[in-house]
Amino acid sequence: MKRRAIVFAGSAVAGLIAIAAIAQQQSGESDVDGVTFFGEPVTSDEIALGQDLYAANCASCHGVDLEGQPDWKRRLDSDRMPAPPHDETGHTWHHADRQLFIITKLGVGGVVPGYESDMPAFEGMLTDAEIRAVLAFIKSTWPDRQRAFQAEVTANDEGGS
Amino acid sequence: MMIRIPKPHLSRRAFALTTLAGAGFLAMPRPLHAVGRARNVTALAFEGDALLVACETLLRSDDGGTSWAPESASGAGDILALATHPDRPGRVITGPARGGVAVSDDGGRSWERGRGGLPEEAVTAIAVAAAQPDMVYAAVRGDGLWQSEDAGRSWTFTMDRPWLADAERDPTALASVDLDTGMDGIWIYAGTEAGLTRVPDCFCRWQNVQPGNAMDALVSGGAPPSEAPLPAGEPIHALASAPSAPETLYAALPSGVWASRNAGVVWSRVADGSASAVAAHPTSPRHIVAALDGGLTQSRDGGATWSALAVI
Repeated sequence: MKRRAIVFAGSAVAGLIAIAAIAQQQSGESDVDGVTFFGEPVTSDEIALGQDLYAANCASCHGVDLEGQPDWKRRLDSDRMPAPPHDETGHTWHHADRQLFIITKLGVGGVVPGYESDMPAFEGMLTDAEIRAVLAFIKSTWPDRQRAFQAEVTANDEGGS
Repeated sequence: MMIRIPKPHLSRRAFALTTLAGAGFLAMPRPLHAVGRARNVTALAFEGDALLVACETLLRSDDGGTSWAPESASGAGDILALATHPDRPGRVITGPARGGVAVSDDGGRSWERGRGGLPEEAVTAIAVAAAQPDMVYAAVRGDGLWQSEDAGRSWTFTMDRPWLADAERDPTALASVDLDTGMDGIWIYAGTEAGLTRVPDCFCRWQNVQPGNAMDALVSGGAPPSEAPLPAGEPIHALASAPSAPETLYAALPSGVWASRNAGVVWSRVADGSASAVAAHPTSPRHIVAALDGGLTQSRDGGATWSALAVI
């Protein structure tokens, strides 16, 4: 290939990359650095959707700022446990993506048969994609240490399943 | 100081006869019935090869039960709970009935007592985290599970009491079991008056003991493995996990000493009688000691055969 052609081809590729990047930024579909679900990248659009869905479906119990119900380690008068925080002060980040997804979709009873909880199963209320978006939003709020720990738990869980 | 039988006031002849008889009596191996009946053994633990017995006070034997010394400095009345860890030789943590904890780092010669944030109620069970020897868990009566990251000096509330048979239950026994929860953590088992339960050490929720972890059970979809739980309706007075064989658990119940070789899924009785405490040797998991029918007895083959220990 002649030098002129090489320069032209290189410029074309660089231009396409730049156009794609701009288009992705404009549409909000860029991957969010460090946030994955089931090992796949999560886009900023998904996180924005998840934030809206969290506010509508989860915040009333788990807190607007993911802080959980007050005194969440103490049992309620109903004998059930309060909603725990989803921020780094809680234990959500100890659970693999698969567990978080199943708990959200099927309720806590999905992973602990017979367990009585105030948390409903969201199957039928949220699609799988919406559940994924909510969880991606929650994960996006964690500090690096918690996010890295949870990614490792998820990787180990997938490796063992 | 060793425990000695006080000498009564006797004539010289009677004293000589009594001494001879007593010497013969003391030379005889005795089952520990006398000790057990006089002392309500509430907890047992190995500290290295030494055996610790918690009752009205703390007793220690460094010679396999031939002689016993009271750790009187721990004297805070009855002791309800006792814990050690093989990676912290000399450290003993007790839960006196009057509340709080007492910690010794020199095998019981000196003690540091305090609450460190614990409520006033008694600590009914203590366990040291299997893989973190400075992490200690304590169950407080009527309250819940607390944890300390500095070997019992300060405490934070961690988890409410387990919910079993339609009520909250005080853990009467705790054991940190070094088996994977599926969440990059290990399990804490709790015995209660209403049976056995466990919680991952992220403290998400108490749950029944089942094969593998909860996710395994959900995903497998196949026929569940056979299970043989501990007898229903019996309180669990003590749990012991052998650090060198974490799948092996022992439990002390009113119906005897029970053993499980698969982390509490299948249990079988290895000794009949009323058991109030049990301990497993840190490096020889088949070496166990139990407080049974008011005496101390031990097995070196995982409970297949038993022999009485010497008199305290």
